[in-house]
Amino acid sequence: MRHRHVATILMGALLALTAPVAAQTPITAVRIGGAGPITDPLAPAWAKARPLKVAMLPQTVALPRKPDAAVKELTVRALHNGGWIAVLIEWKDATLSDRIVLDNFGDQVAVQLPVQKTAPPSPMMGNPGGRVNIMQWRAAFQRDLEKGPPTVRDLYPNAWADVYPDEVMSASDARPYTGALGVENPISRGRASAVLDQMAEGWGSMTVKPDQHALGKGVWKDGTWRVVITRPMVSDDANAPQLLAGDRTFAAFAVWEGGNREVGSRKAWSAWVPLTLSR
Amino acid sequence: MAKVYNWQLGREMEFPYEAARPEKQFAMIFDTNKCIACQTCTVACKTTWTPGRGQEYMYWNNVETKPYGFYPLGWDVNILDQHGVQPMDGPVYQGKTLYDAAPSGEIVLGYLPDDRDYAHPNIGEDDCTGLMPQGAHFTLPHMQWMFYLPRICNHCTYAACLSACPRQSIYKRREDGIVLLDQSRCRGYRECVRACPYKKVYFNAQTRVSEKCIGCYPAVEGGRQTQCTITCIGKIRIQGFLGAPDRVDPDNPLDYLVFVKKLALPLYPQFGLEPNTYYIPPIHVPPAYLRQMFGWGVEQAIATYKGAREDRKLLGALTLFGATPEISRYFRVDGDWVTGYDAKQSEIVRVPLKEPTIVRQLYDIKHKAYRTNIT
Repeated sequence: MRHRHVATILMGALLALTAPVAAQTPITAVRIGGAGPITDPLAPAWAKARPLKVAMLPQTVALPRKPDAAVKELTVRALHNGGWIAVLIEWKDATLSDRIVLDNFGDQVAVQLPVQKTAPPSPMMGNPGGRVNIMQWRAAFQRDLEKGPPTVRDLYPNAWADVYPDEVMSASDARPYTGALGVENPISRGRASAVLDQMAEGWGSMTVKPDQHALGKGVWKDGTWRVVITRPMVSDDANAPQLLAGDRTFAAFAVWEGGNREVGSRKAWSAWVPLTLSR
Repeated sequence: MAKVYNWQLGREMEFPYEAARPEKQFAMIFDTNKCIACQTCTVACKTTWTPGRGQEYMYWNNVETKPYGFYPLGWDVNILDQHGVQPMDGPVYQGKTLYDAAPSGEIVLGYLPDDRDYAHPNIGEDDCTGLMPQGAHFTLPHMQWMFYLPRICNHCTYAACLSACPRQSIYKRREDGIVLLDQSRCRGYRECVRACPYKKVYFNAQTRVSEKCIGCYPAVEGGRQTQCTITCIGKIRIQGFLGAPDRVDPDNPLDYLVFVKKLALPLYPQFGLEPNTYYIPPIHVPPAYLRQMFGWGVEQAIATYKGAREDRKLLGALTLFGATPEISRYFRVDGDWVTGYDAKQSEIVRVPLKEPTIVRQLYDIKHKAYRTNIT
């Protein structure tokens, strides 16, 4: 295992060095008026932001790999209003995947920011000592929020069960029969936001933060996902960058095409892209 | 990849983690000759652990009819097909393990079943290999056959589920080798479901994470055998702890049956996971089939089983199956009795090797009736 970690770090460092991130065209977060979270992917304000094409590569470094990851390119825009920063991410996806059963995976997209805003670590989820803030939007969470979390009957219309523990026991006694829900696994369901606010220091270290600040919304229309991910520029969260108007930092992206069975490390990812916040 | 020793293969093999054998290994032995597929074990497990929402078709314990029963559908023939024909001559396995056979970009060779593969947990029940022709008579092995294969998680020494999890959400306990899946750490990638060749990790669509057999660890920690073992009406199971090939205790019933007598064999050892549930093979089934399923010790195990009545210690170990709810860490045969002992060497059960036969009078004077069964 240690060998794998060393290889990971070396490879990450190599890629980070070889990618001339500073020379790339930056994403410019254009300053707009207003206050509060910027969550509408169809808001007219997005016309003020210049779209940038971000090349997406299949994740082929860590095991397991997905050499045929479906998404090759994202179109990214950014805005901020002095209090909140938001990115709009668009990509072609012919299939809407938001039903999660054994052989169905959900569409997802994530934006990654370095916690130390001027010193990006490995673009691949950071590295030990180089922490990143990863905000991941999930189509399934979006559906949960809009239509309510699916019941077993929603997922399997002909399902039948005689009795469930929560129908004949007190809530506390039935809790052991609820698995990950009973231990409040943050990826299960019942979330207030479609975006998970997380941190990582390398592969396998993704951790959902106890304090959740990220919000967002996705709209799937005409074979295209338009997803906004937004967070406060300044917060008391030590595991997120503190961003101010005029700052220069970096962003990286990952995307999962659920219809192509992409999940976890089976994904497409980008290198760091410079991110500039307008004054 | 590290080099680890797999005693079932008689050789070293590659595995993503360094070898770290537990202090003792949770293990179970099934006597397939005694199983009648009553599914009492399945129901005991179901009502204890998986009656919740999203677990409707989840059976951590199941009993399937071989060769045409599968849960999930086609689990073993699918992975055997992908694995390809391997030499099964032994005693040193010359073929590929599932780790050796992993395609580029994967940790281990595996496949993700379809959701519907779980929809018929008892498919193929009682299906025989063929019709018995007119005038056929039974010989051993039978010309047409089937048998019942009870299954739980194998709590493998080199677990594929554990090795495939990118987040180390699955871990093997140092104290007893039980393999557990952390319900708060799992993110539902299903890499474990894909990797486990026995398909004993399940995805729960209600919680969106995976779940698996927990080896009844709360019971096992208290010296009690698993629910599926203690409820078995056919007394086909014994659950306890296995040592290691270099730490064999012939007074431990599991060590004795697995290492000393080589009567109980692993399930698909060629996969290379060193599974820790062991099977006494069915004596009526053609050895060519059993060799693929249980490895190259099948013929010897069947011969040993047929001679069990002449071997008092072996008979004693087999008599302990289903004799007590507690875990027999040691056993001893004295005269016509076998005694099971716990970890402190205290007696927990004493069973006669041969049940005494009592013949009653044919006529019951008290009830003024003839008895239909007098023994």
